[in-house]
Amino acid sequence: MKRLGLALVALGVVALAAVPWFGSDTFIQFGINALLLAVLAQGWNIIGGYAGYASFGNSVFYGLGSYGVGIAMVQWQQPFGVGLAFGVVLGVVFACSLGVAVLRLKGHYFAIATLALAQVMTAIVSNVKLAGQNVGLVLPPLNNDRLFYELALALLVVATSTIWWITRSRFGFGLIAIRENEEGAAVMGVNTTLYKVLAFTLAGIFSSLAGGIHAYWVTFIDPESAFDITLNVKMIIMTVFGGAGTVLGPVVGAFVLSAISEILSSEVTTIAGLFFGIVIVAAIVFMPRGLADIVRRFPQAGWRYFKQNIQANRL
Amino acid sequence: MDLLSQILVNGILLGGLYAVMALGLALVWGVLNIVNLAHGAFIMLGGYLSWYLFTVAHVDPFLGLPITAVVMFGLGYVLQRGLLNLVVKAPMFNTLLITFGLEVVITYLAQLAFSADFRTINPPYAGGSWQIGPIALPIARFVAFGVAIALTLGMWVFLLRTRLGRAIRATAQNLVAARLYGVEPRHLYAVTFGLGIGLAGAAGGLYGTVSQINPYIGAALTAKSFAISIIGGLDNPLGVLVGGLFLGVVESLTTLYIGPTFADVASFGILLLVLVVRPSGLLGRTA
Amino acid sequence: MTKTSFALSSLAALSTFALANAATAQDIVLGASVQLTGPVANTGRYYRDAYQLAVDKINAAGGVKIAGKSEKLTLKLYDNQSDVNLSVRQYTQLVSQDKVNLLLGPFASNFALADSAVSEKYQVPMVQGGGASDQIFARNFKYIFGTLAPASDYYASTIAMLKALKPAPHTVALLYADDAFDVSVADGTRPLLKNAGLDTVMDERYSTNATDFNSLLSQIKSKNADVVLVAGHETEILNFVRQAKSLAASPKMYSFTVGVPSEDFRKALGKDADYAYGMTAWLPSTALKDRWFGDAQAFATEYKARFGYEPDYHAASAAADVETLVMAVEAAGTTDPKKVRDEIAKVRFASLYGPIAFTAHGQIDLPQVVIQVQGSELVEVYGAGGFVKQPKYPMPAWTAR
Repeated sequence: MKRLGLALVALGVVALAAVPWFGSDTFIQFGINALLLAVLAQGWNIIGGYAGYASFGNSVFYGLGSYGVGIAMVQWQQPFGVGLAFGVVLGVVFACSLGVAVLRLKGHYFAIATLALAQVMTAIVSNVKLAGQNVGLVLPPLNNDRLFYELALALLVVATSTIWWITRSRFGFGLIAIRENEEGAAVMGVNTTLYKVLAFTLAGIFSSLAGGIHAYWVTFIDPESAFDITLNVKMIIMTVFGGAGTVLGPVVGAFVLSAISEILSSEVTTIAGLFFGIVIVAAIVFMPRGLADIVRRFPQAGWRYFKQNIQANRL
Repeated sequence: MDLLSQILVNGILLGGLYAVMALGLALVWGVLNIVNLAHGAFIMLGGYLSWYLFTVAHVDPFLGLPITAVVMFGLGYVLQRGLLNLVVKAPMFNTLLITFGLEVVITYLAQLAFSADFRTINPPYAGGSWQIGPIALPIARFVAFGVAIALTLGMWVFLLRTRLGRAIRATAQNLVAARLYGVEPRHLYAVTFGLGIGLAGAAGGLYGTVSQINPYIGAALTAKSFAISIIGGLDNPLGVLVGGLFLGVVESLTTLYIGPTFADVASFGILLLVLVVRPSGLLGRTA
Repeated sequence: MTKTSFALSSLAALSTFALANAATAQDIVLGASVQLTGPVANTGRYYRDAYQLAVDKINAAGGVKIAGKSEKLTLKLYDNQSDVNLSVRQYTQLVSQDKVNLLLGPFASNFALADSAVSEKYQVPMVQGGGASDQIFARNFKYIFGTLAPASDYYASTIAMLKALKPAPHTVALLYADDAFDVSVADGTRPLLKNAGLDTVMDERYSTNATDFNSLLSQIKSKNADVVLVAGHETEILNFVRQAKSLAASPKMYSFTVGVPSEDFRKALGKDADYAYGMTAWLPSTALKDRWFGDAQAFATEYKARFGYEPDYHAASAAADVETLVMAVEAAGTTDPKKVRDEIAKVRFASLYGPIAFTAHGQIDLPQVVIQVQGSELVEVYGAGGFVKQPKYPMPAWTAR
């Protein structure tokens, strides 16, 4: 059974990789966007889904990755790879230094602290001359969507494989233990601070790589779009929609919600955002555990599944 | 010296406005543990309501605040009873996500209903200032400051001294015990949320007299309200006033001495500092 | 296994969306992604309405004449929800999937900057009337053209006027938002101020979308600046004026880069808008003749009758963009993008917006005239030839109005 599952996933990856040769230009662009969002969702999955620390600040890593590439390529004339590495370094430094302070907080305080981090970084970067202040940076144009697509796909595969490895490792069990009962985990000998910072750093690495790829693809970054705060909510919703704490849930969530949003934007256009908001509200009410949970429980419970969700969560 | 005094006065008055904005958020969050990301959107709706009352029905914007507050209370009650009560017992951040979805919906509906142009509430007597020595005291902001003090004290008295206020706090702290005593929690939750939204609506009416209303002001106001609530502390309505004043003064001083583009760095930097060093806020009891 | 099969079936659903083909149009299709919702929708609507009005007017007059035949124009518009990244994807869709012939632009410099990368990549000319920042034209792109006057020149005519005012102002406070356009304006204004012998006592950059100007206004008062120049967005300038009143700050004059020309802005301020200066590259005068609309005033009347609000230079610029594309197509005799592009670069004609011609970089070169709100009217006070009407100067104290 499991072998079949793995084979299907491998087939899926090959199919995705082949898209740039068969799909239209628009679809490739949509694909790059969806893949990068899926990477962000997986990054959040590590810290939010497995460790249980709902971070609203992963957009900081995304922005740091973007500016890493931007500064390296525009101000220092370095190649793209150096820029990506620089972005990762920025992300890791940030995660380790500020992460330690912020990860001491619990629950909604942690969420707000990461949100504050996101706001502060945006405000700080819009004052940094090296980063072009609020006007931003214009990167050298590269006309190769196929390359970006494959890069994004490769990144997603690495991220998902990392999560798959996490589910099988001591590190992963430690994270889940932290999520379920942090004090108990600490008593049992889990080094909670180390594990949390590691999880935060891992999430940061993937997010910053995604940001770096996005920056070079779009060729233009400014603080508002690089540190886009709404990305935080988007990645969380996508993960929750697909199923937080699962291996493929965030990927599915990201793809489905991106598709819905894109279709709405090109068909209904003016009311696209409105529908998207309604989808979010409906999803949280009827399926708070995500698609992964539906897939697991719907076969037995049928339509009563949605009613059960409401009954379990309402006052 | 005159400039500094003026800047300090500016900061205090700004702080009053901030406090009014944050009061509703802090109430709902501190008492019900509901983090309302749509808070700013409700401020915006209250602003439009006050605008219509002033421009179409010719009701004085300050005297009309109670009307706005009552209507928004009704809206909040219905929303909580009909929608938010469905997710109250889910993991906390589900309310975060659902209120985010609400914010998107409300903003779009506002754009469809009111279009994107801006409205101002311009009562002829309130646009100017009173001159006290070398200090100019903007009238509208001064009134907002007065309302802030009144509402904060009112909230404090309500929550800590009245029966209904104590019932609300008791329900939030211990659902089972509350039920045993015959309290209907769904109704109380809805009343509390309604209060929070009513306060937001009143803040919107005030906001319209000092700034302008358009469908997109919500997000920034929510972020500010968050900062103020945390800095002041969620336990006590007086904390919101302290938090607001503190932030208003810090921002004004930062603009003068460092630069206008650093105001946000200062506010959110302080928020971060408070969270890391003293999460219960300036006026909160240390946990 | 159910999880992966679910993932694959959603992939299948996505593929069907991907492979859907857009219908090819028989007409000449102009495509654009404009901010119809989101924070700048208030200005975005000028573009939507002006594009539509121009297209309808040209079609009513017989359409575009190529090789003896008349082709109709069609407009394909997307709402980018004020999201730059979405607008880039939508322009890509317009070109590669919807197969539009030519492109019209969005509003705002940062959008034009990002979207011009698409027009350059696919080599489809884009004529935009929404981005004035010099950065857009500094990349040596061949397929982007702009009908907004360069940002760095915005205050040139105002500063020329300052020298002729009595009593002559000496001190200037310069405030500007930190986005691409306004930074460009400030960079261009500083040398002009220096050359005019004016003393810049304040030079402050503020955050876009700032709502509180009390600190800056208090500083302006304490430094006694004669002239205040603010380069920002309508919402900020609205707040600035209201707060100037509430703090009793009244310099001898203040001038804003946006807001004053638009009816909406003046209505929101009411009487407080009086005495404010601005600039515009366009006024609805009968002197600007147009092939389809007759003249600028007729355009304004028709626009207001159809849409219910008065047009400003954004709308005129947008209409001129449509006309530019049509003139270029007719001159080229074909809709081939490369040939049309070459014709746009050479184009020279009179339109309701003014004389249309582009520099080698692709930007138009139009002077700004200084306008002032006098009572309930918008009055042209200073143009290329000096004073047109006397400005009401200096501005009286707020309590004395």
